Amino acid sequence: MKFIHAADLHLDSPFLGLTGLPTQLATQVRHSTFVAATKIFDRALAEHVDFVLLAGDLFDRAEQSVAAQAYLFDQFARLQAAQIPVVISFGNHDYATDQHQLVAYPANVTVFGANVTTTTLTLKSGETVAISGFSYPQRWVSDDVLAAYPVHAATDWHLGMLHGAVATGGANDHYAPFTLEELQQKHYDYWALGHIHHHRLLAENPPIVYAGNPQGRAINETGVKGAYLVTSHDHRLVPEFFPTAVMAWETATLTTTATTLVALGQDLTTWLKAHPAALPTLTALTITTSQVLAPEEQARLATWPALFQRTQRAALQAANRYFVRLVVAPPKTTLVAPELDQTYWEQGAAQVFTATNVQTVFGKLAQEPSLAAWLAQVTPAELQEAANQRLVQRERGDEPDVP
Amino acid sequence: MYLKTLTLMGFGQFHDRTFDLTPGLNVLLGPNEAGKSTLTQFITAILFGFPTKKHPELRYEPLDGSQFGGSLDLVKDDNVYRVTRVAGPRGGKVTLQNRTTDLTLPATQLPKLLAPVDLQLFENVYALNELRLGTVFQASKQVVMDRLRHVGAVGSDFWLAQAQQLDRAADERYKPQGRNPQLNQQLQQHRDLTAKLEKANGAYQDYWRLLQDQGDARQQQATLQRALTEARQRVNDLTQQLQAWPIYQQWQTLGQEPTVATTGFTEDDVTAFERVTSQVTAAQSALKADQHRLQNLQSHTQLPKLFQEALKVTPQLTPLLAQLATVTETEQERARLLAQQQDLEQRATGIERQYATANGQMPRPFSLATTQQLKQLQDNLALANQKRRRLQQNLNQANEDYRRLQPTRQHRNPLGDKQVGWLAAGLVALIGAMFLPGTVFKLLGAALGIVIGYYGVFVVDSQTPASRQLQELADDIKDLQAQLREGGQRIDELTDQIDAIGTAHDLGRLPAEQWLAAQAAIGEWERLTRQLASVHQRLTATGEPQQAFQTAVTTLLPSLAHQDFREILRQLEQLQTTQQQLATQDGELAGLTAQLKRDQTALTTAQAAQTTFLRTRNVADETEFYHQYQTIREQGNRTAQRQALATQLGSDRLAQLQQTDQATLTQATQTAQTTATDLQHQLDTVTTHLATLAGQLAHLTSSGTQAVLRQKLANLETSMQATAREWVLDRLTSQWIAATLAAASGDRLPKIVSQAGEFYAQLTENRYTKIELTTETLRVQRADGAWRTVGQLSRGTAEQLDLAVKLAFAVVMQSQAAMPLVIDDGLVNFDANRRQATYQLLAKLGQRLQVILLTADSAAQTVAQGPTNQVVRLTSK
Repeated sequence: MKFIHAADLHLDSPFLGLTGLPTQLATQVRHSTFVAATKIFDRALAEHVDFVLLAGDLFDRAEQSVAAQAYLFDQFARLQAAQIPVVISFGNHDYATDQHQLVAYPANVTVFGANVTTTTLTLKSGETVAISGFSYPQRWVSDDVLAAYPVHAATDWHLGMLHGAVATGGANDHYAPFTLEELQQKHYDYWALGHIHHHRLLAENPPIVYAGNPQGRAINETGVKGAYLVTSHDHRLVPEFFPTAVMAWETATLTTTATTLVALGQDLTTWLKAHPAALPTLTALTITTSQVLAPEEQARLATWPALFQRTQRAALQAANRYFVRLVVAPPKTTLVAPELDQTYWEQGAAQVFTATNVQTVFGKLAQEPSLAAWLAQVTPAELQEAANQRLVQRERGDEPDVP
Repeated sequence: MYLKTLTLMGFGQFHDRTFDLTPGLNVLLGPNEAGKSTLTQFITAILFGFPTKKHPELRYEPLDGSQFGGSLDLVKDDNVYRVTRVAGPRGGKVTLQNRTTDLTLPATQLPKLLAPVDLQLFENVYALNELRLGTVFQASKQVVMDRLRHVGAVGSDFWLAQAQQLDRAADERYKPQGRNPQLNQQLQQHRDLTAKLEKANGAYQDYWRLLQDQGDARQQQATLQRALTEARQRVNDLTQQLQAWPIYQQWQTLGQEPTVATTGFTEDDVTAFERVTSQVTAAQSALKADQHRLQNLQSHTQLPKLFQEALKVTPQLTPLLAQLATVTETEQERARLLAQQQDLEQRATGIERQYATANGQMPRPFSLATTQQLKQLQDNLALANQKRRRLQQNLNQANEDYRRLQPTRQHRNPLGDKQVGWLAAGLVALIGAMFLPGTVFKLLGAALGIVIGYYGVFVVDSQTPASRQLQELADDIKDLQAQLREGGQRIDELTDQIDAIGTAHDLGRLPAEQWLAAQAAIGEWERLTRQLASVHQRLTATGEPQQAFQTAVTTLLPSLAHQDFREILRQLEQLQTTQQQLATQDGELAGLTAQLKRDQTALTTAQAAQTTFLRTRNVADETEFYHQYQTIREQGNRTAQRQALATQLGSDRLAQLQQTDQATLTQATQTAQTTATDLQHQLDTVTTHLATLAGQLAHLTSSGTQAVLRQKLANLETSMQATAREWVLDRLTSQWIAATLAAASGDRLPKIVSQAGEFYAQLTENRYTKIELTTETLRVQRADGAWRTVGQLSRGTAEQLDLAVKLAFAVVMQSQAAMPLVIDDGLVNFDANRRQATYQLLAKLGQRLQVILLTADSAAQTVAQGPTNQVVRLTSK
């Protein structure tokens, strides 16, 4: 038996954390989710797999993407032509609603309903495979769905599909929370998980696997992205990861002793030469300067990253990189304000950098979902650190003469 | 920081005077007018600038004309700076020099060097004189608070400015009610983009609808394609049928020709026939040649005209001449027969005249049964007649008796008349009843009439006894009459039967008695008739060959035409005789004749063969044979052609065509074509629709509008987050500065107050132990615990309080603002003890900061002991 386990295709979803890209890259980004997914389906056809499991978040339903739907129809038709069944359990982003699916997918596609059900496939080899799973009926599924999964059926194989996250016991367990023990107690031969975008084996035997997403879409989705080709060996299922991403994300740091922007640029070019990327890589680079830059250089620092990207295009292309974030961080210094005791700064910070105060300051802006989302993930400590940096800069900027 | 050297180039009463100072307590001792206030003013002016010329009394310009101004050396962070100030605009011209590094610094650096102490703070806190001590306490409590706050928040001006800048920067990034700030613009852009995206998302519904349409149309297309294929097949089939129609028609036409199922007209037969014909031709030509020779030969001999004529036709004539004997015999026979016929006819006519009916019909003879029946009938008739005659006699007898019994013919029975009356009445009633309406009445009336009549005839009559005898007789008569009638009827019957037999045998003309006798004559006639028929038949039989013979002869020999047959025969006999005579004439002629005969025989044989050949094939002559042959051959050709056509059509097609006709076929073809065209049209429409749908779908799918807009939106959100971050950081940093300043000032005041309390206790020899800063003012607590407000204190005590607060400030703020304390005769209102306590406190403070005490009180020098303290006498010079 041989099958492909993929999840979180997030077709036609935008890349996050960008402010603009060169046209060519933008086009590549726009197609990346499709191209990556196509690699999965190509592999399925090339390997003549017995079936394909898609463990949720194929697309973002709220985005109402025509391209995503059209793409799925095309690909499912391809698989149908090769008589490869597809089993889908919708997740929190593509949760199953009836009203938008006016035309059903081809006959080879099985979509689980809101309740846990088991579909049984008979393979060309004569083996029988039971697959249990369910689709999210709405964005959140907080119940313990594992109880509804049956134990190993009287088939040759029994696979589980689940789009969800390991229970934390906290209030945010909205994604079909489960524990490893619960999964293992079902004695299935394989658990095909979705939702977490980093591919990972939660357990080896039987394999409990997050496929990850086939294409990273944000700076926190770094690393190799792809799906699993699972093959049976001596009545054990062995997952083999294969990469599919057409673009990569990477965070990197560079420490430099440069004191001028020219020197900084040279250091950066050197770094690029030393770190060529295999895939077009959207890179977030933090440059830490061990020396303080000259004040007039400081003033130009704000526009320098953009200037660098413009002028050093060749070097960037040679390294296959594009900087989505280029931050020049001054050396770590604490604020030395002789007029005011450090304790007063600390007292002030304790008063200002609280979640409540930050929220109050944010005020009406929190009504904007994207800003609220940003606010939700930022901590007061981070803000204090940034504010501190700001104060240091101001103090220094105004006292350039101090030796 | 402390002042190291004061150099007065020209200031007030001083010129070119230098004072060296120590970091500790410096007591500058001098009486009045020694220049104590001038020095205080000098320090203030050099550090913070000369007063404007509006206040010349404060400028201390030198009276002796030396250069206005001077310099002082100050030590800060182990660096010695020299500040030189001479007359110049805006507070004087300043020269700043770092004497340690020997660098000249810009004049603007001086305030920063002194920061956070400015002129106001220096005058309020560090430069003390009697005038300034205590003034504060005459002012309102608010002034006190402000003073203290200003003192407490010392050094905050920079940060306050930063906070303001941050707030301005934040406002440029975002204002909740604004329009132009960056984030506000971005939010607007976001709304616009979201609206655009929502519009673009409309494509989603369109997409599903189109997809549905596409599915439907595809199904329709498939259906139509199937239907069209069928229709095309049908059209094709029908067209082929139609195209095959002429062939079929041809096939049909060929089939309509009648088939002549005759054998013997094959090629072989023709060959055989031609052989026979050629034999005939050969024989004929041989005959002709011989005849020619014969003619030549005969031309010498005189021969009757007929013979010459006959010579030409010898071949044809010879068989006729051969028949001549037979024909002659037949002719004689015919003459005999004709005579016999005449005789027979005479005899038959005689009988006919006697027995035939008016229209010449001869009676038919009786059969044996009929003869017997007739005899029987005639016997019966005779018997009946006899009986009749006897009955007639009896009747006559009875009638006679009756006449006799009827005595009076005149005396008539009245009742008999009555009978007539009854009868008449009955008749009237009967007839009258006929006029009655209704059948029942009619019947009843009729019945009544009959009853009346009956009564009249029978009842009335029988009532007469006299007529009883007569009646019996009458009855007898009646009986006899009835028997007579019966006998008559019997006779009639028999007569009718006999008549019927007579009529059946056409014997109507003869009396019945002669019928049997006539039978013999009738039999004779019939025999004659038969003989006649036979003779006639033989005549006819012989007449035909005779006629044929005559015709043949006259055809050959036209000269014999219109001649009597016997004459013809006679001439022919003559001809034969002549021939026979000629035959014997001489050898050559005989040989030739023999040759001719042989030729004739050969010809005859050949012709016979030909005739036989033709007869066996039931054809009259050669032309007919060839015609027949041609017909048969053509028929064969036709059959072959028809077979070829049938093969060409195929059995199925042929069967199909046989089921229909051309008009139906044409109609069906047209209908099918219309259907096909119709379907094609529909299919085209559907296909076009599908193409349109595919185009629309492709457009929707590939436009990428949604993706582009979404990415734009995501990018914008990233920018918005960045802007919001900057904004919130600006705001928070500003808040942080404010909070820190608040914390700092809020913390220093209590320290200063507490320190001031300590100092105050020392200055007042522990008479007052505590100072408290309330929300409204300052109050002090005496050692006995009683509280006093500032207003309740004596002037001296109040001045001591002020001094304590200022000293406390200088000490507490020392880490931030290390400035020397300059005290110019400020202790005049202090009593000796407290002044001494003050000196001691100052000496103690001198260990921590520079104190410059300008005084006229020599008691002060007692405390100025130690390495960092010194006493300078202003008047010593």
